[in-house]
Amino acid sequence: MPFMEFVNFYLMPGIVLGSIYALGAVGITLVFGILRFAHLAHGDLATFGAFTALGVVTIFGVSPWVALPVAMVVCASLAIGIDKLFYDYLSERPKIIVVMSSLGIALMLRAVVQVVWGVDTETYTRGIVRPDDYWGIRIRDREIYTIIAMFVIVGVLWAFLQKTRWGKAMRAMSDNPDLALLSGVDNRKITMLTWGIVGILCAASGFFLGINTELKPLMGWTMLLPMFAAAILGGVGRAEGAVIGGLIVGIVEETSVLFIPGEYKAALAFAILLLILLVRPTGLLKGKVL
Amino acid sequence: MTSQAIAEQPMANNSMQQKYSGKPILTMADVRGGYGDADILQGINMQVTEQEIVVIVGPNGAGKSTAMKAIFGLLKVRGGSIVVNGTEIAGWKPNRIVQHGVCYVPQVNNIFREMTIHENLEMGAFLRKGDIYESLERVYTLFPDLKERRNALAGNLSGGQRQMVAMGRALMLNPSLLLLDEPTAGLSPKYMEQIFEITRNLRNAGLSILLVEQHAKQALAFADKGYVLAAGNNRHEGTGQELLADREVAEMFLGG
Amino acid sequence: MELIGLLNYVVYMAIFIGIYCLLALGLNIQWGFSGLFNAGIAGFFAVGAYTSALLTAPESGVHLGGFQLPVVVGWIGAMIAAGAIAWPIGKVCLRFRSDYLAIATIGVAEIIRLVVKSEGWMTGGARGVNKIPRPFGDLSYLYSQLAYLALVLAIVLVVYWAIERQISAPWGRMMRGIRDNEDAATAMGKDIKARRLEAFIFGAAVMGFGGALFAHFNRSITPEAIDPMIATFLVWIMLILGGSGNNRGALLGVAVVWIIWSASEFVTDQFPTEFAIKAKYMRVFIIGLLLQLVLRFRPEGILPEPQGTASSPEVKTTQKQEGAAE
Ligand SMILES: Nc1ncnc2c1ncn2[C@@H]1O[C@H](COP(=O)(O)OP(=O)(O)OP(=O)(O)O)[C@@H](O)[C@H]1O
Ligand SMILES: [Mg+2]
Repeated sequence: MPFMEFVNFYLMPGIVLGSIYALGAVGITLVFGILRFAHLAHGDLATFGAFTALGVVTIFGVSPWVALPVAMVVCASLAIGIDKLFYDYLSERPKIIVVMSSLGIALMLRAVVQVVWGVDTETYTRGIVRPDDYWGIRIRDREIYTIIAMFVIVGVLWAFLQKTRWGKAMRAMSDNPDLALLSGVDNRKITMLTWGIVGILCAASGFFLGINTELKPLMGWTMLLPMFAAAILGGVGRAEGAVIGGLIVGIVEETSVLFIPGEYKAALAFAILLLILLVRPTGLLKGKVL
Repeated sequence: MTSQAIAEQPMANNSMQQKYSGKPILTMADVRGGYGDADILQGINMQVTEQEIVVIVGPNGAGKSTAMKAIFGLLKVRGGSIVVNGTEIAGWKPNRIVQHGVCYVPQVNNIFREMTIHENLEMGAFLRKGDIYESLERVYTLFPDLKERRNALAGNLSGGQRQMVAMGRALMLNPSLLLLDEPTAGLSPKYMEQIFEITRNLRNAGLSILLVEQHAKQALAFADKGYVLAAGNNRHEGTGQELLADREVAEMFLGG
Repeated sequence: MELIGLLNYVVYMAIFIGIYCLLALGLNIQWGFSGLFNAGIAGFFAVGAYTSALLTAPESGVHLGGFQLPVVVGWIGAMIAAGAIAWPIGKVCLRFRSDYLAIATIGVAEIIRLVVKSEGWMTGGARGVNKIPRPFGDLSYLYSQLAYLALVLAIVLVVYWAIERQISAPWGRMMRGIRDNEDAATAMGKDIKARRLEAFIFGAAVMGFGGALFAHFNRSITPEAIDPMIATFLVWIMLILGGSGNNRGALLGVAVVWIIWSASEFVTDQFPTEFAIKAKYMRVFIIGLLLQLVLRFRPEGILPEPQGTASSPEVKTTQKQEGAAE
């Protein structure tokens, strides 16, 4: 197979898909690292974000790119609200109870999407967009935007975590929660801040999946496994690891069709997950193991 | 400038106004409590007055760490009172207690391993809104080792250096009362001496310190006061010298 | 005539309740007694259903098989197959906190779904496996149904009894010990990993059995027969509402939730079609909300685990967390 064909049909789609996974995986890794549980409603929160953007597009007739920030705000508020209404009451209990609660939230979110938007497949815009050719690399504008947006969003988040007072407090909470409390960090504020950020990331990953493919009520749920695989592969609690993990999972999934039947693309995330748990549970960048 | 001279600059916010001695900083009266239903602490009484080092000794499992956690609101206090600087603090949340001028260095897990030394110190000052430069400089002068390696991850340091980071973090808020839980555990004699030296200097600079120590003899030698705890109860108390001289204490708790 | 119709419906419901009872008992072994989070119940159910179906069904030319083995062999095969799938997953994931197991079991269920759909040579693809023999299938409809119900109930009782016996045996006390205080159990030198793995496999096998009973009851099994998420989730809410750690609670929870679930379907079916479809999702929403309410207001369920044997899985980590700031 010619090299350019590999790049155009497998590598680039893998990077685009990987960017979408990365956005989700960063959120998962934040929840896993700071709030210390596996958030099973993550994918469906992304679905909700994608459909919120669709709602904005259909009601106001604006471009999807204008709808994205709106969806981010809605998702962030929703995530904070879900925490306040449900997860927060379970905070004194073992974390696995919150995992269970989040499984219920996943179902509830999906049900809302199905009730409000129905079960049909939707798209943000109609018509086929042909890829442009850049020195032999064929890529669509929206794919370029997806990759750039991922790096910008994660970069801003990274700077926030490294440089600001509250960002450092989030890292401190992830590192040693008891000591963070002893240093006067307010647990509640960190939790809300984390959910706000996670909501934004979810909206972004759902939106970019929607704009590159289509919107379906199950779109987020099917992303859950790859996103978790990416987060654990990168190292739990490591935002930069989640990006690397997301890109790897995306590229592996897209190139896998060269070796195995396409139906089993989705199984690869699972294989990666088991493999990393088997050989290096801390992930590539030495994250946490719960 | 020696670390002694630096430490003698006022550390505590309020140490200047209160130059008279004997003012109680911490008073625990008949404190009871534990982790589950059983009371680990069965009525602890202790007092720390201004500018003194009070050392708690006792066998493993005596409840020394538990007493510190009780002060800091990390376990259910079921009875008794804990007064700091004239205010009852039993039942307060940790971040409120920190704001009240008490800082705590736990026995284990007392640093942020994945953050740099500098960031550890910044976290210590999390509650302070203003400029923390002076406090940083003071801690760095107290622990010059840390300044050199300020950008190293705390988790990669030696045991002694970690204890310094832990103490430095607790000092960033300029507390009036410092709780130290076995800061010298597992350290070489050289590091132990250094930590003790710094502890004394902090006291001389106006801080009150409650110190749990396994190196009981060395610690009691410079303690202003000491308590012997066993099985969740007060067993003995007295000045450091009195306890060292007490035959029973020596036999039972100081290894003869 | 009306009465017969009603009786048929009741028997039909009762058989389903019996099958869900097996799933809930299986989950109770995993979660209730051992604290293991299995979010892929439907996967183990499907493996059991297809295994038993393929072992017992006649030749069709569409799927693997034509073995026409006795139904009992199919059941045993179902349990072995479900347990065999649980084994590697447990082996990898049980070293970690149950969050990892939750994710991995979601993955397993997904892959089983893919295999069932894509490997048509084995599973018959979308057409599924048909003509699965049914015990007492030759009787007239109502008697056949009644006989199958009796069979299902007898199996539920046997499994219930077997679990109760196992749980009050040293094995069960050890399991609860591990669940409630891992540190203490390790200190006592118990081989935690092996015990948990046993519980996970044992529970999965019981779920596989449930799948087998379903397949033989329906006489056919297709990929669409169960909605994986909803089936898995129903079993969870049944166990939590009934009282995890208590087998009788589990059975009670199954009955309560299944009746609510079916009754609500009965209600929404009366709505005009356009609204009925949406109403189906509203029901899912309400079941999700029910879980939240139970977790918050009655975490021990209707019939809590008897005290004295052990505390519920809830208590186990709170103490550890307090200790962390030593
Ligand atoms: N997190 C906890 N949960 C339950 N019990 C605890 C916890 N931490 C300590 N204990 C118990 O409380 C008692 C007192 O423990 P504590 O840690 O206060 O002892 P200590 O005097 O500090 O001992 P050491 O010198 O070993 O540090 C012990 O019996 C211990 O088992
Ligand atoms: Mg101690």
